[in-house]
Amino acid sequence: MSRKFLETDGPQWVQKGIITEEQREQLLALYPTDATAIGLLPLLGSFLVGLSALSLVAANWQGLPELVRLALLLGSLCSAYAAGEYFRRRGNTNLGMGLVALGLILFGASIVLTSQLYQLIGYDLTGLLAWAVAGMGLTWLYRSRLLFIMTVVIGGIVQGYNTGQLGAFSYLTAAFTALGLGYYWWRRPDSLAGGVLAAGLLWQAALLINHLHIKITWFVVPAMLIYAFGDWQPDRPAGRAMQGPPLVAAFLFTLGLALFGESDLYTGQLRPPLLAYLGAMGAVLAISLLGKRQRGRLTSATDWLLLLPGFYFTGGLALAVATLVVLYAYSGSVLFRAHQEQNPDRVTLGTVLFIVTTAVAYFKLTWGFMDKSLFFLLGGVLLLGLSWYLRRRANHTFADKTPAKS
Amino acid sequence: MSEQPISVAPPTPVQPAPLPELAPALHRRWLQWLVAAQVLFVLGVAAAGYATGALGKSIWLRTAPVDPRDLLYGDYVRLNYSISQLPGHLWHGSQLPRRQQAAYVLLEQRNGSYEAVGIYPEKPVEQSNQAILRGSVQDVWRRGLRLRYGLERYYVPEDMSRELQKRQSLRVQVSIAPWGQARITKVETAP
Repeated sequence: MSRKFLETDGPQWVQKGIITEEQREQLLALYPTDATAIGLLPLLGSFLVGLSALSLVAANWQGLPELVRLALLLGSLCSAYAAGEYFRRRGNTNLGMGLVALGLILFGASIVLTSQLYQLIGYDLTGLLAWAVAGMGLTWLYRSRLLFIMTVVIGGIVQGYNTGQLGAFSYLTAAFTALGLGYYWWRRPDSLAGGVLAAGLLWQAALLINHLHIKITWFVVPAMLIYAFGDWQPDRPAGRAMQGPPLVAAFLFTLGLALFGESDLYTGQLRPPLLAYLGAMGAVLAISLLGKRQRGRLTSATDWLLLLPGFYFTGGLALAVATLVVLYAYSGSVLFRAHQEQNPDRVTLGTVLFIVTTAVAYFKLTWGFMDKSLFFLLGGVLLLGLSWYLRRRANHTFADKTPAKS
Repeated sequence: MSEQPISVAPPTPVQPAPLPELAPALHRRWLQWLVAAQVLFVLGVAAAGYATGALGKSIWLRTAPVDPRDLLYGDYVRLNYSISQLPGHLWHGSQLPRRQQAAYVLLEQRNGSYEAVGIYPEKPVEQSNQAILRGSVQDVWRRGLRLRYGLERYYVPEDMSRELQKRQSLRVQVSIAPWGQARITKVETAP
């Protein structure tokens, strides 16, 4: 990225006398050409070759003798790993890791196809679990983000198959994914991996809640536990990424409460046993707050506004309105903190949240008694005005910032 | 990068030591182990399948008519056996059956195929004309229960899928290994 910038704008700087031609070349030398672009072509080529081999084998699969099929599977498995290791050692990391990932996929395919070969459809999930274990082993071995993400996905597939086809939840798989990958991420914090891991764990938590047939509100307990884990992560961006998916879930949950909260039928479905739920949430809140204090981020405690258990009140419309107030408080706090930290991404996020909340509030409070065309007109004007104001606020903040920095 | 507005001086965060890369020799050894384990696992699956067919006891089971339209959804058919739904009076447990519980079905030969004579929560003793199939309870209702054996799916070979054009019952040969594992070895259309 930086090199491209230098290449396009560099000559102008020389022209304007800001830097000399030698200095430009020295700067260019600081940013060598990216090796990834070169690695992409052979990757695509081998992908196509592999695809043709695959379709040839797949077309004749049924006709091949059993031993040949087994040898084909194991041969391609081993050669994928060997080739991956070869390229990685030659310095072509992307291609190497891609091949190792292919090896992991081939392992899963081998398990499934070998079972089919002998008409084995076990009703335990040993085979699939072995796939997840292999993914975990490779992640730790290669310290690779690609393999990490694949292991999250494999864990989700294993759990989905287990609850969907076999009608049982595998606590082993859940604990294995959460602990093995969680500890890995703790030691090697990374934003993308954090977000993916959080999403994968939320998926498993949702499957568990669905499997146990308990109130869906319980979902937020594991979700916020993941959030609290992000609080303890010393690496701030990675921790924030881990907290993204749980926060999205909590926001949507509260938004749903604002939209449908006045119907007692809906809130009734949300009410778990009071003491157990509040006890569990209190414990998670304590873990989260301790983490925030430890890392000096207590201001982000406003995130917990979304978790106010408003559904216990049978207030009808008043409950929906109170929930809207909470949503406003939350999106307002996001905006406020973003302006304080002068963080443009978070300003955008806060703006979007604020506008969504306003749209819901407007829809909720005026739909019933206003003529439809007037409703849309006023709503549009309101949102346009709001976004104009918020954008002006944001520009103002960043205009303050720019001269201070230069 | 920019000055972060931190209000109170926080306790210095304990940054865990970043995870170092593995030493090359260690990396190579672990990789060899990991790949070998994967190969052995696949071979183990194949060996278990082969041994079940070679060493197991063969029995024939009857299925309900198979819907040929099922074939359109993939390369397998869903099999529903005569022993998939059983009357509740065959249950021999001290407590009522629960969902997800393991169940051992005692089978006895009756004119050509095997039929259930009892369902047990623990493995019973079998006679020479009998066989035991392990399953799990899927559903319980007042008069009976539905069981699942892990034999409900049959990957149809190409030459057979042409035979299965109309709705008909099947005879399924199942091999039960001494260690309890079972697999389908042959499928025929019932006369």
